[in-house]
Amino acid sequence: MELRSARADVIALSVVVVLGALFALYFVLPLAGLGARAASDGEVWELASSEAVRSALVLSLWTSTLSTVLAIVLGTPGAYWLARTNVRGRTALDALVDLPIVLPPTVAGVALLTAFGGQGLIGGPLAEATGIRLTFTAAAVVMAQFLVAAPFYVRAARSGFAAVDQQFERVAYTLGASRVETFLRITVPQARGALLAGVVLCWARALGELGATLIFAGSLEGRTRTMPLAIIDAFERTSLGLSGAVSMSLILLVVAFVVLVVFRLAMPGTSSR
Amino acid sequence: MSSLHYDARMRLGPFEYDATFEADGEVVVLFGHSGAGKSLTLQATAGLLTPSEGHIEIAGRTVFDSASGVNLPPQERNTGYVVQELALFPHMTVLENVAFGVRGTRADRERKARALLERLGLEGYEDRAPGSLSGGQRQRVALARALAREVPLLLLDEPFSALDESLRRTLRAELLRLRADLGLTVVFVTHDLREAHLLADRLAVFDRGRILQFDRREEVFRHPVSRRVAELTGVSNVMAASVLARLEGAIEVDVDGLALRVADPVWRPAVGERVELALRAERINLRRGTPADLGEPNLVEAEVVEEHAYGAGHTLRFRPLGAGPHLEVDLPSRPYEVLGVQERRRWTLELPSEDLHVMRPSEGSTSTGG
Repeated sequence: MELRSARADVIALSVVVVLGALFALYFVLPLAGLGARAASDGEVWELASSEAVRSALVLSLWTSTLSTVLAIVLGTPGAYWLARTNVRGRTALDALVDLPIVLPPTVAGVALLTAFGGQGLIGGPLAEATGIRLTFTAAAVVMAQFLVAAPFYVRAARSGFAAVDQQFERVAYTLGASRVETFLRITVPQARGALLAGVVLCWARALGELGATLIFAGSLEGRTRTMPLAIIDAFERTSLGLSGAVSMSLILLVVAFVVLVVFRLAMPGTSSR
Repeated sequence: MSSLHYDARMRLGPFEYDATFEADGEVVVLFGHSGAGKSLTLQATAGLLTPSEGHIEIAGRTVFDSASGVNLPPQERNTGYVVQELALFPHMTVLENVAFGVRGTRADRERKARALLERLGLEGYEDRAPGSLSGGQRQRVALARALAREVPLLLLDEPFSALDESLRRTLRAELLRLRADLGLTVVFVTHDLREAHLLADRLAVFDRGRILQFDRREEVFRHPVSRRVAELTGVSNVMAASVLARLEGAIEVDVDGLALRVADPVWRPAVGERVELALRAERINLRRGTPADLGEPNLVEAEVVEEHAYGAGHTLRFRPLGAGPHLEVDLPSRPYEVLGVQERRRWTLELPSEDLHVMRPSEGSTSTGG
């Protein structure tokens, strides 16, 4: 019996190892392909220093960061409220927050147009009254990213807050801590892992945002053309072709990787414990 | 000044909550089954729950008054509240936990926290994470954290329930010492009868959102006001009876056809009135010889029909041979062996007249006598 179970263990272990290796390979191969192609083309550095790529990269970095900051500032109170409330229709509210995650980003872009576009609900009156048009501006880029990415933060924050036992907060109140002080000193530190994970998810989603941005902000070089849009553009135009897209993809990957690593090092506890 | 006046009413799911008691420089134990409203009372006192009606005063200051609309938040109520789960902040060290509620400069706060930790035998643990401590140590940290704000009133919600018996004993003794040293008023919630008996100066017996009896501990244990209180406080023998005669310093009652004398009743019912009779199982004596031979009152001949052995003694169930009630008797191991109860099954039970206690019958019956 023992021998048989030992053999079963070996088989099970082999299966796990093989499955794991297949999974890893699938992610490594495209990266390797990108690297190999870029190396053979030898255009990466030339492209990276070009004005078009530089402006797209800078735009991508600051818009995605701003979207994330907005998600934290505007999303945290709501996330906390969702985690603590017992109101009727809570489930519907939860689903509403999740909705932008499920929707294709192009739908989000169209929806943004109908609200904030030149003829939109808010956009029309706004343009009439002040002459301000949101579409085709950097602000539109941030709005598109925010709509698509913020739910990732709110979701993570909501479950992070929900996992903090309310008893801690109640005890803190009896120890003289105000609600705000309790939130900052008791709740947030305990939800830290989930909050940081939410920040990373939100930022990554904002950085990769394409569909909503394209529809609501367009792809104007130097103004609204973020890295993902620049890559599409390069891919479609014959002048740079595939090799241009390859180089920019690689640049975006490396920059994103560096940012994530630095973030994790600066904020211990990001990896879920 | 170290006192609590508590009076609150609210609707609580299926039943009404209505509780009134007070505590003044003593340990008041709130005793009852879970869901009886004990923890709720602590929450309402600490300001974590608002009753619909009532008046709560802590150390002479009104913290809640529904009539005048006073309702201080928990931050301003000055209570040391220790919850059952302790809720030590897991992301803080022991020292940070204890210093959390203390006001003043960082140095002041740490000094005070260190002094308290030392007092509770926790020096050397200041920088540990709460999760790395033993159950008893965690309990002490929670107590230190609650005490660090120099509160007049300590609210403890089943604080020792997760600990083993020897540790509980140590912590109970420590709590009583602290209470005396610091002149605290303590409200202690427990469902453990022994714990209630060990700690209480006064005892409030909770049942379904109400305090059935609030009195000095001995009074509650010796003179429960009703069948329910008697049952909750561990009285095994509660019998329906009717009054036969009122004598000088005693009354005579009938229980299942047996006449029993009750000495110094707490209240004197009228002849013919229906009452209930309580008798603790450990107060009954086993005698040899028949009641007729002995010629004394309050004797009943009975035989053992059921028997349970516990560590320290035996619980015997007796069936009367003639008229009289079924009775439960607790006997420590030593007399059990010396008397030879193992072999001899028929005994004459003596129900001491001074240990019999008359109670008013339960819920909504006759008016009371003088």
